[in-house]
Amino acid sequence: MEFTALFLAVTVVMVVAWWGTRTLALALFAATLLASIATYLHHASDVLKLSF
Amino acid sequence: MTRSLALTLNAVGLYAIALVLTVAFAAQLLLDELPCPLCLIQRIQFAMLAVGPILNVRFGPRPGHYAVSLFAAIAGAAFAARQILLHIMPGDPGYGSALFGYHYYTWAFIGFAVAIIALAVVLLLDEQFRDDGKPQSRSAFARAPVWLVIALTALNVVSTLMECGFGACPDNPLAYELLKRAP
Repeated sequence: MEFTALFLAVTVVMVVAWWGTRTLALALFAATLLASIATYLHHASDVLKLSF
Repeated sequence: MTRSLALTLNAVGLYAIALVLTVAFAAQLLLDELPCPLCLIQRIQFAMLAVGPILNVRFGPRPGHYAVSLFAAIAGAAFAARQILLHIMPGDPGYGSALFGYHYYTWAFIGFAVAIIALAVVLLLDEQFRDDGKPQSRSAFARAPVWLVIALTALNVVSTLMECGFGACPDNPLAYELLKRAP
């Protein structure tokens, strides 16, 4: 569900960027970027099988 | 680079992002390869890349708008790099099919890296940030890709909802969850 919400958030950011105010668009972009990084960190739980 | 040329280049960038999102849908629908969670987060970052050019076309070119896209490109490159590293061991078949020898997450990393370099080059050309006093006109060529990218991102909302339903997205999706539950 979180990925659906993120896509919806990006759609809203785009709509605000095109029709709304610049400040609101930038603020929503920042919030969505932080949410996507948090989602990535939540899902990036597998240990990488790397050897050096 | 003049303001007008900068706006044209931003529109071209939006068409390129729309192309990436369309190719991703093509792989999903034609090859029946549903995107994994890591794949979805990379698609999200490609969509986020478009916010900078949309702001440039709407409000005129500003360094801050390019910075917005830069943040999205850096995050996207990091997410794609992780997926590359997950499958980098010898003998690992990788995830999903390959396009011209590279998996989609490798192409995503290349795309984000190209975006970072392109943004750095464009930021060097600061003539575009001078207000020449001319009224800013948004041609159909510049307005059309804005609609296109918004539509493709909205389609991703529907597609992801169908794939994951109202719960967590499966790590290796094989079917659309919402369609499974339909009578």
